[in-house]
Amino acid sequence: MHGVRRARQTQEALEAKRLKDQSKLRDYLALSDDVLARKKQKDWSREALRATTQLLQVNPEFYTIWNYRRHILVNGIFPESTPEQIQDLLKDDLSLTMAALKIHPKVYWIWTHRGWCLNNVPSGPGVDGEGDPRGWEKELWNQELFVVEKLLDADPRNFHAWSYRRVVLASLPVSKPETSELAYTTRKIESNFSNFSAWHQRSKVLSSLWSTGRLDQTKSKEEEFDLVQNAMYTDPRDQSVWIYHRWLIGSEILDREIAVIQSLLEEETHSKWCMESLVHYKRLLLHNHAALVDKSALTRDCIHLLEQLRKVDPGRRARYDEIEITRL
Amino acid sequence: MSHETNPLLIPLHVSYIQNLGKNKNDLIYHLTAHLRMNAIYWGLTALCTMNHREALDRDEMIDYVMSCWDEETGGFGAHPDHDAHILSTLSAIQILVTQDAIGRLDIDRVVKFILSLQQPSGVFAGDSFGEIDTRFSYIAVNALSLLGRLGDLDVEKTVSYIAQCRNFDGGFGSRIGAESHAGQVFVCCAALTILDRLDEIDTPTLSWWLAERQLPNGGLNGRPEKLEDVCYSFWVLASLSMLKKVHYIDSDKLISFILSAQDPEGGGIADRPGDMPDVFHTHFGIAGLSLLGYPGLVDIDPVYCMPAALIETLGLRKGWQSLERRMR
Ligand SMILES: [Zn+2]
Repeated sequence: MHGVRRARQTQEALEAKRLKDQSKLRDYLALSDDVLARKKQKDWSREALRATTQLLQVNPEFYTIWNYRRHILVNGIFPESTPEQIQDLLKDDLSLTMAALKIHPKVYWIWTHRGWCLNNVPSGPGVDGEGDPRGWEKELWNQELFVVEKLLDADPRNFHAWSYRRVVLASLPVSKPETSELAYTTRKIESNFSNFSAWHQRSKVLSSLWSTGRLDQTKSKEEEFDLVQNAMYTDPRDQSVWIYHRWLIGSEILDREIAVIQSLLEEETHSKWCMESLVHYKRLLLHNHAALVDKSALTRDCIHLLEQLRKVDPGRRARYDEIEITRL
Repeated sequence: MSHETNPLLIPLHVSYIQNLGKNKNDLIYHLTAHLRMNAIYWGLTALCTMNHREALDRDEMIDYVMSCWDEETGGFGAHPDHDAHILSTLSAIQILVTQDAIGRLDIDRVVKFILSLQQPSGVFAGDSFGEIDTRFSYIAVNALSLLGRLGDLDVEKTVSYIAQCRNFDGGFGSRIGAESHAGQVFVCCAALTILDRLDEIDTPTLSWWLAERQLPNGGLNGRPEKLEDVCYSFWVLASLSMLKKVHYIDSDKLISFILSAQDPEGGGIADRPGDMPDVFHTHFGIAGLSLLGYPGLVDIDPVYCMPAALIETLGLRKGWQSLERRMR
């Protein structure tokens, strides 16, 4: 239970509430017993589906009932429905979960059920080369991005919504360019510098844009430093921006110099100093920036370089052995 | 400690936990049935930490746990007739181990159930519907370890997924790409600790991030720029214990914060001062106090979140460090 204030109630008030709840309790138990009994009998009828709707409207945290509902749909109702009907049924479930999320935006089971609905959209409305067979899918996934934005407007830090947003972005039948996600994080950050969830998302999007070369890293980094400095000066007590700043500074100089030395080594393939320096700087990355790097790849690189070093510089092989054994 | 704050009201919390099972006429008791198995584990573990294990009837508890066994899947549901889920399955195993009743369990079947939930990527799903989360990876690792069956696990694959969830701030998210969150940091650290793979953790960066969870009022939050909450006391402290850095936290201030969230009339601990208590925050508040060396409490193992002496007897203790027990 989170954020529910403790109210001291008199014994009489508590008793009155209990009495008032008694009829609700009887109804709830009758409904829940009925649904669980149907579930045991593998009742996959429309009546059973309606009963689960009723129960989930009262208690959307009852995960067993979401499971049962999916079994009813898949085993009982979809097989006797047209694709249009299936599409309508899924839309009903999206409305049901939307209503539940408005009241319970942090209940895992509701998010899971939404994801399931979207993954079960039938192909259509187009068939046999006429129209778009992925039309329904496109419609619902695009709408989903809109829904998740509404929920992030209501609570810009809801990690369920952010997590779900990443699923939606990865699942869109026609994917959106990552630059548009970058723009989304800019909007979120500019409306509130404290929104670390948006800074986090931004770091992931930028890493991907930089590594694929779709965004010029040098120019883009300069813009990031401007954004960060603006945020720092706005509220220096806000830790979101400092954490992001640390990522931005990151391993920049090391990365740049390693790249320079690496290309020199391609020309001077036996250069001892290239190899020795690469081992040194790669170990700095490993030890000081462990969270930013691919540890196993860097370790492999170092082992390979040390092997070469023992060949080109055998006089100091004892030192290379020691680095490999004790300090990688 | 401020003079207005009560000490830990152990007898009151013990009776609070005892009374939880006696509210069968309350609507809320039935609306939370989907959490019952977890609630019993939280209650039992809190009682063990307060050295009052006997306050709940052992045989009745074991019979209840066994009544939640789902013969079809080989896992435990949260309540009789509720579907099996990895969350309630771990709680059931933890209760049976704590009550020295693991002989009642069909270990082969439950191991099969847990292993069936591992996905090709290495992460675990919560049930057959496939919601994935690093929480479930921890649960699988913890449960298999308690059952002495870690040998059946594909450790490389499990570790590899968790490692990919590590972010630049040193923390871990629920999935690849997700924001760091103290709860997810705990599950990932604990899974890696059990698997002896702390080398996947960037200790300096992560302990910096964890230390920054403490707010001026002494409480801990779960992510940057969020509100404090008693439940994070355990997740942050347990992670710091595994990294041997609990001393990074101002323990006097955190102890005061947790104590100030007690309900001094009805017993129990809430998410923050003045809120309604519940068994979840009662357990994690007391567990946090135990790791901080609060006098009169029993040691809790931060990796398994179970009595430390029991984990030691099972031969499963790892090299964590909590604060020394204060005399008063
Ligand atoms: Zn909490």
